[in-house]
Amino acid sequence: MLLMLKCGRPVLQTACAVILLSLMLLCTPGVSQAVDLSGDSRTYLQSRETADSTKIIGGYEYLDLDVQNLGNETISFHTGGWLRYDFKGEEFNEKTNDDLQYAYLSFKSKTDNTMVNLGRVMVFEGVAHERVDGIYARTDLRYNFGISAFGGNPVELGNPLDTPAGSSGNNSIYGARLAHQVAGLYTIGASYLKEERNGADYRKEEGIDLWLHPVNKVDLSGRSNYNAITKEWMENTYNLVLGPFAGLRFTTEASWINYKDYFFGTTMSAFTFQPGVLDPNEKVRILGENVAYNFTDKVSITADYKTYAYSIAGDSKYYGANLKYSETSQGAGLSAHKMDGDTDRLKYWEYRAYGFKKIDKFDVSVDVLDVKYTVAINGVSNAYSASLGLGYDVLENLKIGADVEYAKNPDFDKDIRTFLKAIYRFDVGTGARKGV
Amino acid sequence: MSFLLLLPVLALVLFACAHTQSMALKHPMEVSGMPICSDCHTDWRASLNHTSDFYTRHRFYAAQSNQACGICHKESFCSDCHAHKEELKPSDKYKDSPELALPHRGDYLNQHKIDGRINPASCFPCHGRQNNERCKTCHR
Repeated sequence: MLLMLKCGRPVLQTACAVILLSLMLLCTPGVSQAVDLSGDSRTYLQSRETADSTKIIGGYEYLDLDVQNLGNETISFHTGGWLRYDFKGEEFNEKTNDDLQYAYLSFKSKTDNTMVNLGRVMVFEGVAHERVDGIYARTDLRYNFGISAFGGNPVELGNPLDTPAGSSGNNSIYGARLAHQVAGLYTIGASYLKEERNGADYRKEEGIDLWLHPVNKVDLSGRSNYNAITKEWMENTYNLVLGPFAGLRFTTEASWINYKDYFFGTTMSAFTFQPGVLDPNEKVRILGENVAYNFTDKVSITADYKTYAYSIAGDSKYYGANLKYSETSQGAGLSAHKMDGDTDRLKYWEYRAYGFKKIDKFDVSVDVLDVKYTVAINGVSNAYSASLGLGYDVLENLKIGADVEYAKNPDFDKDIRTFLKAIYRFDVGTGARKGV
Repeated sequence: MSFLLLLPVLALVLFACAHTQSMALKHPMEVSGMPICSDCHTDWRASLNHTSDFYTRHRFYAAQSNQACGICHKESFCSDCHAHKEELKPSDKYKDSPELALPHRGDYLNQHKIDGRINPASCFPCHGRQNNERCKTCHR
């Protein structure tokens, strides 16, 4: 039903074609006897009230499917998506909503890390993190080079909110990344992305990504992205990890972001430049340090400090500490942080305590957050939320759960939310061989 | 016509292929919790240790070698946050795992005004750059 709903939209014709092709492959004699079908179904029922006291009860179904060994173990099909139906009220003014998140036929070679994905693909390559109705391919080359490329129709431009009457709807996106690596020493990549909207240039971005491991216990990773339309750097973000040295690990973060170049072309109303919200000339420099110490393999403490320096708005500091106990079947955490900024909204203390435990087929979790504002917001200076969750393993592959959350904050004086869920995982291997 | 022009490029790529062994399609043993890869691996994979700060660094590894991510993670692991149209908070879907560094815990209606002021660039990777019904509810 999910696929029928989605296939009515022209933008998904490619994805639907891939699904059809996969089903035909599954029906091919010899293939159907060998395939491994796995996936999960997640069903959620959420009850909450909106800020204007409208009660909303929404049901969600998430379905993910993987079909492996389509006649050849290197050919597979993957799809996932969700749909919502509101039994009471309307979430975001729509009774129903849905999204085909990904649906593609994949070929993976036993050599060269060659991969070709066809359909609705998610692309994470250098400067690109996109959803594309089209093709994505990569392979290793000689002399430790690697190359990847993608092209097609950008899923993000399929939103009717951004397709006014009269627009051509002629959208496209393509890009590539060339990388070189010396195993264990470095990986460096150069990437390019171009997106056209209604036939005109919409985004042209270039990026450098880097991972450097000059000596043991030193890792530098990061990226620099350049806006080729505004001809300025969008962002430079780098992390340096040192350690562990006798259980002590240091992580340093440094970022520079230029809003005018980073948010160029966005149509999301929250990010369009408006007085008092986003100033186009704003630039932020973020510097942070995180020091973690492991007392044992189960108990650790972390102290972190981060500064946000803005060109126009006032600066801020965020710092605090976490204490964490973690095992597979149980764990707990305690944290306290302070946001110390120049504006009233950026002056608060934030506390959190959580715990979880699994007992036989049951699991229980608690989570409490408390935020104390130095200057009250909407007359509220202490906002908090507390949640209690219970789960039960009905079968090895079927879990049900329920949780309730109570909150008081500047927007709700008494907010109660409930969440029910049923998670079913399946793995049907019809052939003699399963897995890899 | 442009497709025909791609053929020599494709032929060149195939000629230049390294003929190396591909990564495993799936991790040979099941990994649970937050794995410390360096417990077993001493090469570049050791840098994939899922330590407490990995949440803020995973973007770098995904942008360079998402194939490595795919050895342990299914696509739905990425799309749970990064598909741009998500309506349910990850912290609601995985409330039974409070130890995970998931965004938007607790009251996020008020907190998003603070986070949006602190670093709005951090919203893009999950919410995308295009208008959507959720933002339009208030940001008209």
